[in-house]
Amino acid sequence: MSTLLQLILSGILIGSVYALMSIGLTLIFGVLRIVNFAHGEFLMIAMYGAWAVSHLFGLNPYFAAIAIVPAMFLFGTVVYWLVISPALDKPHLVVVFATMALSIFLQNAALMAMTADLRDIPPVFNRSISIGPIYLKGELLLGFLITILCTVGLQWMSKKTYLGKAIRATVQDGEAAMLMGIPVPRIFLITFAGGSALVGLAACVMVPLFSVFPSVGLNFVLIAFVIVVLGGMGSIEGALAGGICVGVVQSLSGYYIAPAFGQMFFFVLFLLVMIFRPNGLLGQQGAAMVGMNE
Amino acid sequence: MSMVIPAPISSRRIPVLPKRGQISWFEIVLLVMSFGLVVSGIAPSLQDVILLSFLFAGLGLAWNIAGGYAGLISFGHSAFFGVGAYTSTILLLRYDISPWIGIWAGAVIAGLFGAVLALICARLRGPFFILSTLAFAEVVRIGALNWASLTGGPEGLSIPPMASLVGMVFASKTTYAALMLGYLVFVYAITKGLEASRFGYYLFAIRDNEDAAGAAGVNPLLGRTAAIALSAALTGVGGSLFAQYFLYLDPTYVISPELSFQFALLPAVGGLGTAIGPVLGSFLITPLSELLRSHLGNAAAGLHLVIYSLGLIVVMLYFPTGLAGALNKLTHWRPFR
Amino acid sequence: MSALLELRNVSRAFRTTLAVNDVSFAVQPGELLGLIGPNGAGKSTLFNLIAGVLPPSSGQILFDGKQVTGWKSHDIARVGIARTFQIPKPYRQLSVVENVMLSAFLREKSIAGARKLAEATLADIGLADYAGLPANLLTVGLLKRLEVARALAMQPKLVLFDEIMAGLTPTEVGAMTRLVAELPARGITVIWVEHVLYAIMKTATRMIVINRGKQIAEGTPAMMARDPAVVKAYLGEEMILA
Repeated sequence: MSTLLQLILSGILIGSVYALMSIGLTLIFGVLRIVNFAHGEFLMIAMYGAWAVSHLFGLNPYFAAIAIVPAMFLFGTVVYWLVISPALDKPHLVVVFATMALSIFLQNAALMAMTADLRDIPPVFNRSISIGPIYLKGELLLGFLITILCTVGLQWMSKKTYLGKAIRATVQDGEAAMLMGIPVPRIFLITFAGGSALVGLAACVMVPLFSVFPSVGLNFVLIAFVIVVLGGMGSIEGALAGGICVGVVQSLSGYYIAPAFGQMFFFVLFLLVMIFRPNGLLGQQGAAMVGMNE
Repeated sequence: MSMVIPAPISSRRIPVLPKRGQISWFEIVLLVMSFGLVVSGIAPSLQDVILLSFLFAGLGLAWNIAGGYAGLISFGHSAFFGVGAYTSTILLLRYDISPWIGIWAGAVIAGLFGAVLALICARLRGPFFILSTLAFAEVVRIGALNWASLTGGPEGLSIPPMASLVGMVFASKTTYAALMLGYLVFVYAITKGLEASRFGYYLFAIRDNEDAAGAAGVNPLLGRTAAIALSAALTGVGGSLFAQYFLYLDPTYVISPELSFQFALLPAVGGLGTAIGPVLGSFLITPLSELLRSHLGNAAAGLHLVIYSLGLIVVMLYFPTGLAGALNKLTHWRPFR
Repeated sequence: MSALLELRNVSRAFRTTLAVNDVSFAVQPGELLGLIGPNGAGKSTLFNLIAGVLPPSSGQILFDGKQVTGWKSHDIARVGIARTFQIPKPYRQLSVVENVMLSAFLREKSIAGARKLAEATLADIGLADYAGLPANLLTVGLLKRLEVARALAMQPKLVLFDEIMAGLTPTEVGAMTRLVAELPARGITVIWVEHVLYAIMKTATRMIVINRGKQIAEGTPAMMARDPAVVKAYLGEEMILA
């Protein structure tokens, strides 16, 4: 019984970390209506950055966030100016190919710079925190807390600030938002750069838990897309709910079903969700309709 | 002083590129030149580039049937390449079946995989479709890696390098070049035939407006499945031919995202949705690729991909209709307007 | 005479809203049925139900005596029902004539035959001059005419017109009204949703008025103009009568 509880709890915790890396993606999706195929590579780059800062300065990765988050915001801005913005008024497949190419570019640039060796940082917490019979890794708990704080903060921003309302308006109807005087191109930039910054934060939380290597992005991007589909595009709470679902499923299936599933798990899960619930958990407009001819 | 009125320029355009469904002089010239290259007896190192250009042109054309004509952009086509390659090779090594037959078995199996993918993605459009093709290819790759009893796992499979016609192994690169050119012409003929057929129009309709196509009586699921299955089968044939040339298969190279990317890259650069596009794309990019590989060697693993992907970004942003589109615009240039 | 199209107690709900509420009517061959109602009344949903875009939540739809309830749009098209889209849906990378050829393929299996049928249809609609133009260069008005051309090229038994007059100039409205009025004589039954009321009042043989998903009136155009329920539903809207 306590095994089950342990699995579920650690599933919730890891799921929240997955959710953190997906919030950027769901916002970009909701606001710009594009898929950033390089999302996983953004995470990979940020993880390398967090690793490097940890390694070079002996900081723990959570403090590295102070450098990584703004750096990723800048990175997102540059990518937006150079790649995304020129592609927005072209046929949809231009953005698809451009971000796909960006993904290949980043993967191979990382391969050249860092080689394929796995990079790890030593554990931050020396032993797990125990609550009764349950052992929880400190890094996971902290990740969970950071995600919750982030989600609450973003929700507050979304409801109480002009920027948040402008973003929600753009998600609902970009043209109408423009007519109402909302500077939509700037909202696009802020969302893209902000989403990248969130990925940076997620990377700092994830680096103590996962090794970094150039193609690590692929696994995570599929998880992120599953989460975005399950939770609904543009929805922050949805991303959190979706993330927790995915985390719990992974935790339970890793133990009860053959662990030899291993690498394939992410991909099979993705395909299963696409077959059976392309419209998300609650039947919102999702994978089934995105990209339908305008 | 009387005005000099320039003589009117003839308004009859000389089309450079082939119109849909028709053969143009451009294609014939290209074919003759290609054939000439094969029989001319150039240095063997160049022959490698030539035959790979032919092979990848055919693979790009096969991809284009789903990606350019039906609008189903796949980044997982290397799965079909690998399935074709492995099928014919396993039939050869285990059951002594000649590749001349095994290739078609490979095509059928690859086509089945394609149909399965189409059914998995029946309700998906746009980016989720694309991601599903990626995920599908990864599942196939990991499956091939782990099912060692069938595929030889990570060690891969080797075909003995004994030249034989029945075994489709040749001592001379020229013969391989002729084989690959044959493949290119075969896929090109199918593509042109598609363009001039009712089925081709159905694919264009599904690509351009699925709702309207349904209202006109076209069954979108059937069309999508047929397009992907055909594209997969033809890709599988290319895979088998590659296996007979390279004589070694392993899952990590043959079913990789990088290879899938290349199948999509060539038509994108050359011109999606045209028959000549993938050919132009391959004739441009494959030699470039081999050049980079030979000069930079393995010292900078991944450098050639860095250069392509950057190149593709530039092409996509500034020449979205590809080489074919750019050439088209050129022929409409009137110097005295 | 058995009805060409019959709806029996057809309803369609979206979550908790009943967009179409227990609608029943029959259309005889050769009729020109006008379907009018204020915005949001459920006319487009009704069209989508008949055209197979959505299945009804309850009720039955019969065409030519056959059950077609829940059939998909491509099967509905093949059985002889054509429809236009309120917001035109052209194949943007194909030329105008190729757009119509797609629909013509339902009747002519060869490329040459389909092209001939398409060109003839374009001539009928007055789009022959635009045949070779890529469809993405057409204006909205021309695109609407293209929609009609595509529907007619299918040589349907029943055609569903969804607000084909919107965006047309007065001359074009006149020409299109004359075209639609001729269709029953050519063996094509018409169900027509329209807001340009004078066109539909002039040509329809029978009208049904829908409001909030329910039928509120049925009869000849003249009767509709006098029916108090209809006038009330349209309160605030100008009624332009021929």
